[in-house]
Formats: sequence, C-alpha cells, structure tokens
Amino acid sequence: MTTATLVPSLADAPPAEPRRPRVLFVASAFAAGASALVVVALLSVYLQIRGDLVSSGSALFPEGTVIPLTPGNMGLATLAMSVVTMAWVVHALRNDDRPHAYLALFLTLLFGVAFINTTVYLYQQLALGFDASGPAALLYIVTGAQLVMQIVAMLFVAVMGFQALGGELTGRDAEGMSAAALYWYVTFAVYVVVWYAIYITK
Amino acid sequence: MTVIEDAPAAAPASSAPSSTAPTRYGLADVLGTGDHKVVGRLWIATALLQLLLVLAAAIYTSAFRVDTAGLADPPEWYAQIASFRVLAGAFMVLLPLTIGLATLVVPLQVGAATIAFARGAAAAFWAYLLGSVLVISAYAIDGGPFGDDTEGVRLFIISFGLVVLAEVVALICIATTVVTLRAPGLRLARTPLFSWSMLVASGVWLLTLPVLLAMAVLSYLDVRYGGAGGLFGGGATSVYRRLAWTIDQPSLYAFAIPILGYVATVVPVFARTRHFQHRYARNAIGTFGALAVGAWAIPGFGADSAPWLYELPWIFVSFAILLPLLGLLGMWAQTIRTGRIRIASPLLYGIAAATILLIGVAAGAVQSIERIETIVDGPGTPLFGTSWTSGVAGFVLVALGTALIGGLVLWAPKILGRSVAEGPARALPILLLVGAVTMSLPDLISGLFGQGLADVPGPVADNVDLIDVLNGISLLGLGLLSLAALGAIGLVLQALRSSELPGDDPWEGHTLEWATSSPPPAGNFASLPEITSEAPLYDARHQEASA
Repeated sequence: MTTATLVPSLADAPPAEPRRPRVLFVASAFAAGASALVVVALLSVYLQIRGDLVSSGSALFPEGTVIPLTPGNMGLATLAMSVVTMAWVVHALRNDDRPHAYLALFLTLLFGVAFINTTVYLYQQLALGFDASGPAALLYIVTGAQLVMQIVAMLFVAVMGFQALGGELTGRDAEGMSAAALYWYVTFAVYVVVWYAIYITK
Repeated sequence: MTVIEDAPAAAPASSAPSSTAPTRYGLADVLGTGDHKVVGRLWIATALLQLLLVLAAAIYTSAFRVDTAGLADPPEWYAQIASFRVLAGAFMVLLPLTIGLATLVVPLQVGAATIAFARGAAAAFWAYLLGSVLVISAYAIDGGPFGDDTEGVRLFIISFGLVVLAEVVALICIATTVVTLRAPGLRLARTPLFSWSMLVASGVWLLTLPVLLAMAVLSYLDVRYGGAGGLFGGGATSVYRRLAWTIDQPSLYAFAIPILGYVATVVPVFARTRHFQHRYARNAIGTFGALAVGAWAIPGFGADSAPWLYELPWIFVSFAILLPLLGLLGMWAQTIRTGRIRIASPLLYGIAAATILLIGVAAGAVQSIERIETIVDGPGTPLFGTSWTSGVAGFVLVALGTALIGGLVLWAPKILGRSVAEGPARALPILLLVGAVTMSLPDLISGLFGQGLADVPGPVADNVDLIDVLNGISLLGLGLLSLAALGAIGLVLQALRSSELPGDDPWEGHTLEWATSSPPPAGNFASLPEITSEAPLYDARHQEASA
C-alpha cells in the first residue's frame, strides 16, 4: 500500500520530523483577502457611479441628504483602538499572560460592538431610503458589507476567545488567535478605505 | 467549520496487497464524509452529470445559429439557454471538475494526510450542489439572466452566488493545503507542478470570484429594487453582462492555469526524465497566473470613461501572456527531446490541451489589436465582441476540458481504484483536438466576417451565407466534442465495472501520489521520508537502478 511496496529506498529512509503547520492562519489570510475584495469591488462601482454623476452635474442623493462625518470618524477611532487591543490579546496569549489576554479580549469585542453602534447611528442620521437611488443603495451595501466583515471578525475572535478560555491557545500555540487578529486587521484596513472614500471625499 | 478538526491519523502500515478494491461507502458515510477523496469524487461526479445539461444547451444554441435568419428575432428562451451554456459550463462544470480533481489529487501530491479543513471542503461541495440545483430550478421557472420572472431571476442570482461562494471556500482549502500541509522537505520550490498550478489558480480565482460575487450582489439589488430601469441603469438585462466578464480575457485565462500544471506533470513522466528547468516552469506558470488576473478589466469599473487606463494594460496582457506559454512549450519540447518518450493516453491529452490552448491564446492576442476590423459592408468594428471572442473562449475552455479528462485518465487509479481502458482513452484526445478546431475556428472566421457573440442573439447583416456555413461546421465540431465528453463519461463507467487492479504506480510517476495504494487509504500515507527533490519517486527509482 505504501512506499514499502513500491520504492524500498524511500521506505527505508527514516521518517521526517513533523512540523507545525499554520493552516488556520494561512486560510484566514486567503479568506480575509477574498472578503476585502468583495467590499473593495462594491466600493469601486460606487466610486465609478459617483464620479459619473458628479461629472454630469447630477445629484448623488435626494436633496437635503448629508453624510454625517462624526459617526464615521468615531467608527475609525473605535476600530483603531480595537487594533491595539487585538494585538494585546495575541501578545498576552503568546506570553501566557491569561488575565491580560482576557481583559484585552473583552475590550476588543467591546470596541467591535461600539463600532456597530456607530454605524447604526450613522444610518439613522443619514435618514436615506435604501432604494432612494442607485448610489444610496450602494452606500448601504458597501458599508453593510464592511459591517458584515466586522461581525465575522468578532465571531472569529469570540470563538478563539472560548478556546483561549479553555486553555487551548497558549504560548507558541496561539495560532488561532493570530488568525483571528489577521482577519480583524484586514477588516480595519478595509474600513479605512471605506471611511476615506465615502465619508471623507463624499 | 474548522478549527477543532483533528488531522486523520497516518494510514496504517500493512503487508496487504498493494491494490485493493475501492472502498464501498454507505449513504451516511458519503453525506458525513470529510475524506478529501470522497469529496473530490462527489465534485467530479456532479460536474459530469451537469455536463450533460450544458452539452444539450450548447447543441441547441449552435443548431439554432446554423440559420442566422432566426437570430434577428429568436425565441425568448434562446438567450436564456445560451447564457446557461456559458455560465453553467464555466462555473457548474469546468471549475467544479477542476476543484474535484484538485481536492482529490493535491493532498496526495504534496504528501498530506488530508486536505486542509476537510469538513470545510465537504461543506463547499454540498453548497455547490444546492446552489447548482437552484440555478437549474431558476432557469426552469423562467429565471436566469434574461428571464421574465423577476423572482426567478432573483433566485438565479442568489443560487449562482452560492455556487461561487462554495467554489471560493473549496479553493481556499486547496490553496491552504499546498501552502501548509506539504510533506517534510517538500519545499514550495519542489511542489509538483499540478499542485503548484492549483495554488496559482486558486490565488487568481480568489482575486476574481469575490469581484464576481460583488457583481452578483449588484445584480440582485438592481432586480430587487430597481424596477424596469434598474438601480444602476440596466435591470434584469444587465445581469448576464455583470457575470459573463469572467469568460472574457484576461479572466478567461484563469481557467487555463491548471492545464499548464497538468501538461507539466505528464510530460516528464512519459518522457521518463526530469522536467527541464523545473524552476523556470514554476515561474512561468506563476507569471501566466499573474497575467490572468482580470477583475480590473470589467466594464463596471469604468472602461468607457477612461479607456486608455484599461485598453493599454489589456493589450499588454493579451500579448504578454503568450510569453510564459511559449516558454513552457519550449521547456516541454526540450524535456521530451532529452528523455525517452513513451506514448500513452495522458500524454496525448496533454499535447492536445497545450495545442488547443496555444491557438486560443494566440487568437486572444489577435483580437486585442483594435486595427483589425470585421470585413463587412461599411465601417468594420474591432474583433472583440464578435464571435471571434466566443471562439477564443471556446478554445481555452475546451483546452481545460481536455486536460481535465486527461487528469481523470492519469489519476484514475487514485480516483477510482481502477485504470481506464487505454485504447479508447487514446482516441479521445484526437477527437477533442479536431472537435475544438472544428467548433471554434469557424467562430473566429465568422467573427471576422461580422457575426456577433455566440451567447448574445443578434441579427447578422453581411456575409450571411458564409456565416451559415461556418456555423454549420461549428455545430459539427460541437458534435465531436459532445461525443468525446460522452466517451470520457463512458470510460469512467467502464473502469468502475472493471475488476482489473491497476497497481500503485502504473505510469511510473514522479510524485508522491504514486507512493501510496490505488485507491489511497484513509490518511493517504503510512509514513514519508524527508523529500529532497521535486521528483522523489523518479529519484528513488534511479537510485535503485544505479545501486
């Protein structure tokens, strides 16, 4: 069945040392890249339509609609802080500093909830119907897709947090949390692009 | 899905006969399996079943085109069936077949006990199955991209999105396997070229399919909230355009990457020597993949408002992608020249696939020259957007189909636990080559004489008689290809009924999949030594011979 029957010289050789694969980390990198591309592709279409409307002198949204800047900025600041606490989680786990890991984990998830809150608040301030216009629908879809990424990142971190609570992620074996952190960082990077393209340049 | 899964234990060492009858699986085993070999077989079997539907759609649309007078006012379901031929052919048959083959072979080639995220890979298959059944259902209720039933169109978009999402998950599993689960010593530089090509292809698809998903979301919004005009100016009629860009160059060439890996696998095996300049072959496949990333070129990103920004890279890519392909062809020729050639069916599939691909890529380069215009009364138009474009897609996709059938024949001992009959298997590549040329070359010529895209109905104003004849020849070619496809399915069925055991390594392969039994046991390998080259079995065989 194996090399023994086929190639004796292969079978006679000593087995190699097993190595520690970073399966979850690599898969998370692929998944984060793919998720980011969905948002960036939608954002590209939004910018394209916005550019066409602006150059033709047409209005992007119904009259009186203003995209508020403050909730977007608050969202950016909140996520920026969460990036620091996320790094803190990974660092603490790698050093077997479990009390700090749990504290940082709690803060990270709290910032995540706060970010969702700011986005919902922004939608309320915007007071724009989803189907008011093409750009309006796209605005919701782009920011909503980024929000979905954020929720996925929070679930990922929460699952890894439960594993950490169970004592599975410690020392050099904290790959799961590193993978969740990578997804979180990519989510933040995507938000920076969305924030600049939608809330700043308007 | 994933993080709590344990890798299966290594296969137990055994003194039992090396080839055994294929394991029989009950329904519960199949439904709950995480075995990459079973999941791979499920992908392959489902894709082959759907191939029959796609062939029927292709024959219908091609037969309709034989009399181009009917294209001026075709039945409303003509466009539906034509769109099914393209979208289902690419995303419900060819890409799933590729994924199935890779799910089965890649872990074996890299010496892994399983695929990364085995249950994720299984979930991807079931999502694909559900999605593709719903796509077919949507077409059946007059959904589909050109459908009149709005709810049917929405069902089509959602289910097509589900198919694409499933493929993204499956590709992540395959790519992660190559990156992380290689046997000790099997550095990325030593990765077998089919697995390497699947890593490259997965990367390219992961840069492409998310954009396709985003376009599906836009299409859904258009149909759901936009009414007749659509939110973004198009409504249901724009759905197909938003999805079908993946079949145009350069995204089209992403389908070609596994072809390169397959040919690079069979040529050294049947030349009985190492691959000439393995390192450069790896780089050439990577370069081909980099040039096949094509989501930047889709119409929705403003190709019209800034044409210079898109046309120049598009022309560059169309020609530049010939270079790695020609380089690989040269390396394969040199490999054959320096080795001792042995003619066998997998090699014939490789030669046929490479030839068809070369014609397709060369024709793709020609259509990027805007100065070459159609020969019609009055001012001509560029070739891109005529049936020349359909011909290019035909060549590339048939090349992939040829390589995939070759893969089924080559790896049949690992897939089925049986070999396919060599005699009939040798006839199919010739049929595929002749069929590809007979089907797609007339499309190139009729495009030159002004016929529109094969998948979008429209009147033919000039050269009608000539185009009718060419479309008739194209239909004949499609008939040959259909025969070859049915023949391939017949080969598989015949092999399954055969009682002859193939042995572990019937082809004297070079890579690790041939170091385990046929079919491989759970866990794939009892143990593997440190791998020190890209062709470990070839090296071991030669060390024995010299000793």
